Amino acid sequence: MSIQAIPVETGASATARAAAAPRQRRDEGRAGIGLAAPFLILYVLFLIGPTLYGVVMSFFNSSLEHAGLGGFTGPDNYTQALTSSDFWQSMWHTVLFTLMTTPPLVALALVLAIFTDRLRRGRWFFRLLFFAPYVVPSAAMALIWTWLYTPQIGLWDKWLSAVGIANPPNWLADPSWAMASVALATVWWTLGFNFVLYLAGLQEIPRNLYEAAEVDGASRWHQMRRITIPLLSRTTALVLVLQIIASLKIFDQIFLMTAGGPNYATRPLLEYVYDIGFTDFRTGYAAAASMLYFLVILAVSLVWFFISRRQQKEA
Amino acid sequence: MRAEDHLLSRRTLLRGAGALGLGGLVSGCGSAFATGIAGVGPAKNTLSYWNLLGGGDGVRMIAMEDAYQKAHPGIALNAVVLAWGNPYYTKLSLATLGNQPPDVGISHLTRASILARAGLLEPLNGTELAPYGLTGGNFTPPAWDMAHTDGKLYAIPLDTHPLVMYYNTDICKKAGLLDQDGSLKKLDSPAALTDAFTAAKKVTGAYGAVMSINNDTATQWRIFSSLYYQLGGSVLADSGRKIVLDDAKAERVLSLFQDLTVKQGLMPTSVDYPGAITTFATGKAGFYFEGDWEITTFETTKTPFSMTAFPNVFGGRYAVQADSHSFVLPKDPARTDAMRKNIFSFIRSMLDQSSTWAQGGHIPAWLPFQKSAAYDKLRPASDYKGVANYARYDDLAWYSGSGSDFENIMGFAIAAVSAGQMSPAAAVSDMRSKLTQYAKTPSPV
Amino acid sequence: MSAISLPRRSAEVHARSQTADWRARYFNWFCLSVLLVFAAIWIIPLLWAVDTSLKPDGVIAAQPTSWWSGSWTVHAYQELFNLGNIQVWYLNSFMISLLSAVFAVVACSMAGFAIARTRFRGRRFIYGLIAAGLLIPPQVLIVPQFQEFNAVHLLNTYWVQVLPAVAVPIAVIIFASFFNGIPAELAEAAHVDGASWWRIYRTIYMPLSKPAISAVFIFTFVWKWNDFLWPLLTLTNTRTMTLPVGLSQVSSSFGIQYAEIMASAVLGALPLIVVFLLFQRRIVEGIATTGIK
Repeated sequence: MSIQAIPVETGASATARAAAAPRQRRDEGRAGIGLAAPFLILYVLFLIGPTLYGVVMSFFNSSLEHAGLGGFTGPDNYTQALTSSDFWQSMWHTVLFTLMTTPPLVALALVLAIFTDRLRRGRWFFRLLFFAPYVVPSAAMALIWTWLYTPQIGLWDKWLSAVGIANPPNWLADPSWAMASVALATVWWTLGFNFVLYLAGLQEIPRNLYEAAEVDGASRWHQMRRITIPLLSRTTALVLVLQIIASLKIFDQIFLMTAGGPNYATRPLLEYVYDIGFTDFRTGYAAAASMLYFLVILAVSLVWFFISRRQQKEA
Repeated sequence: MRAEDHLLSRRTLLRGAGALGLGGLVSGCGSAFATGIAGVGPAKNTLSYWNLLGGGDGVRMIAMEDAYQKAHPGIALNAVVLAWGNPYYTKLSLATLGNQPPDVGISHLTRASILARAGLLEPLNGTELAPYGLTGGNFTPPAWDMAHTDGKLYAIPLDTHPLVMYYNTDICKKAGLLDQDGSLKKLDSPAALTDAFTAAKKVTGAYGAVMSINNDTATQWRIFSSLYYQLGGSVLADSGRKIVLDDAKAERVLSLFQDLTVKQGLMPTSVDYPGAITTFATGKAGFYFEGDWEITTFETTKTPFSMTAFPNVFGGRYAVQADSHSFVLPKDPARTDAMRKNIFSFIRSMLDQSSTWAQGGHIPAWLPFQKSAAYDKLRPASDYKGVANYARYDDLAWYSGSGSDFENIMGFAIAAVSAGQMSPAAAVSDMRSKLTQYAKTPSPV
Repeated sequence: MSAISLPRRSAEVHARSQTADWRARYFNWFCLSVLLVFAAIWIIPLLWAVDTSLKPDGVIAAQPTSWWSGSWTVHAYQELFNLGNIQVWYLNSFMISLLSAVFAVVACSMAGFAIARTRFRGRRFIYGLIAAGLLIPPQVLIVPQFQEFNAVHLLNTYWVQVLPAVAVPIAVIIFASFFNGIPAELAEAAHVDGASWWRIYRTIYMPLSKPAISAVFIFTFVWKWNDFLWPLLTLTNTRTMTLPVGLSQVSSSFGIQYAEIMASAVLGALPLIVVFLLFQRRIVEGIATTGIK
């Protein structure tokens, strides 16, 4: 395409386009819909559709192995969920897990990322080491950590007895310790993701800011407090909200390591939905519990949405 | 330039390795690939079999499977062991709904009824079963009855596994609890029980008896219910829609628990399943209450022990909590008559190996073996075989059965009493309130 | 600046920079040591798993702790392969992840292009609908989705995994915003040449979108490989299970054969670690860029 050709052609093509406008616009419309169609069909069938179906189902007494909706129950499923201590305890377990894992996963990732960013060489090594657990499937991670936590012959208990602590708690079978044990394993498993996000954010901070502070005599700690952390605030907000939403969806590790036990002491909300819907066959009630669960996650997402909108406006 | 070359060669290497690997995998797993893409079932000469038998039971079952495989080299037996309890039954249900169930699976009889009501099991046809000898006359009557739901047969019983009492023969001898011929004196009243435990405690210096409490709702339920049934009580009626728990009887049983554990210290108040085994195996308790399946454990630890029927403590009509393992055929629209013949032949082969199975402590449901002299020779396994006719299964409800929510609710409250955390009255009201929630819920099956 | 004061000032600066140098080096050493301690902690679980998987079974329960037991053996791995299931699980996981990633890239890029570069009636509404879908976590839909797939008899096939993996709004948004960054003149110029929209999409926009393609491909692949709850519900035959589900369901049959359990964990962890080693930079870039979005 020559440069001289464009102005001439534009003029000609503009007229041509204006003259042929309706047909081209129809073609464009058809092309657009045609291109979007495969995704849209799957989207409506497998995301929008189930959402609507779930809402409808929650008002009926649906069952897993009977086709159809079952008897109409009105808001009974919702009242039963809202008055069920099992429901609220599961909700609390999910929240407790989020509270236990989010601070270390955000703070520790930040600290380690800042330290790693300091290095001139070998950054790849630590990135590899901290991120590798993240790509391990939850089943493998649960097997490994259950083995580590095994009473007496697991590695942690062996080390503890070597330093003289003879009666450590039963990490996964003691109601007071089970959640903390799963939380610790989760920190090991998912820290790498936040770590990488922070590293990326740190790379965006211009080096000359540090050099200028250096010349002014600021210590490293001072630099970290005054330059690094404030400039990472956007990344921190992102990490925080992603972490909270991910923690609210907890299922895998708890199901695999404690099966929601001991005696349902660690069962999160998603496992409650699983038990009710797929073990007890009560899909209508499970759909209602899922909808309430959805409202919680939606609330958190919306809070972040408004906060980030405000941040963008300020910036 | 160098980086690109490196990248290119790495890419071609990857592609080559990938193709080789994928080719190898696909050729080796062609049928799985076909299943994944088009939902095609497995090859005709395979028999898939699911069970939830781990530990000593699992080892014995594997031996029986191996014997079957040797005798039938033309059929590839694909046996899978899954975790015990709710997870097993959830998976079995989901697989049946997903139209890819195993050909045959183990199910507790109490659970088989629920699966049958949910339409997940295939009803068994008497004429088809007859050639394999799988008829009513060959099975323990209570188990055969339980295998029927709404008049149709849905399961073939393998065994009955009741709650039993293990006792350390050395300790009991020293405590003067054995008769001249070495058999245990009858413990058929609460007083006799307490005296026996006190005597045993004097010998051991630790405890008279032990039962697993921590995180073990199943054991707590089994012991409680045996005593409760002996008093003539029931818990659920009308398929779980009514609670007929007799508060007075329940409190009487729970007070006995509390007396033995908390008040008199004859049994530990905090011990889990492996801990209870260790306590009995190392002679720190003279008596141990559990299902019959721990026989192999104590044979391995060379503890001097024997087993007998759970005592008729309250002296009325005898009853003891039990359940049975059975074989069920999950519903599969693609199952052919030829497949069915394979399955029945497999079941018959398992029953023929009842001797191996009985060595694990279970009372065989297969009468031709149960009535034989060979079974009598198995000691102490055959000592309590009469119990099979008094087996009391859990009340039927969609939320009941082995390892179910019902068992968890009851077991949790009972364990709280045994551990000294709740009074009998509080426990009974806890049971009632939690069960009521389930009773009010319309059944999903 | 007089010549006399210069040397003094440079002496001050020199002194200050020397202290700064010493402090900087101390700080760097501090960072490095902390990092090494944490790195050691982080590697232990995986190392211990590999170590256990190579020990003979009888030695594992022995005390005290020993990383080296006197003999290595791959018996645990042999037994796993003999059981015959793990190869099938690898195949299933690979096919599902691959099909999901390919279809997601194709369908979502097409939709993203349609939204970003073509005009059609209802485009705004559809974009809003897709953005709204961002707020719906898939975990909330397990019950109705199960019923749906059950009704059309797609349980225990690859499609029950692949189809929902394509219907993911974030992928469309990633492509749409990436395409928005490509100048519109390219499309217009090709248009004038008589190219169809499909050709413009295929030959101009897609080749320029390697970062977005690799981000969506990698994310979908890793997500589907490690997905647990949905396959747990829908892939219930041992021959149709994916690797994570198979590992977790069958490990109970091993009882206390810890070498076998750890071997299965290692085999489960290995594929994606290898993938990560090979595509480190792409994966990390992908996270960084899409995370910022």
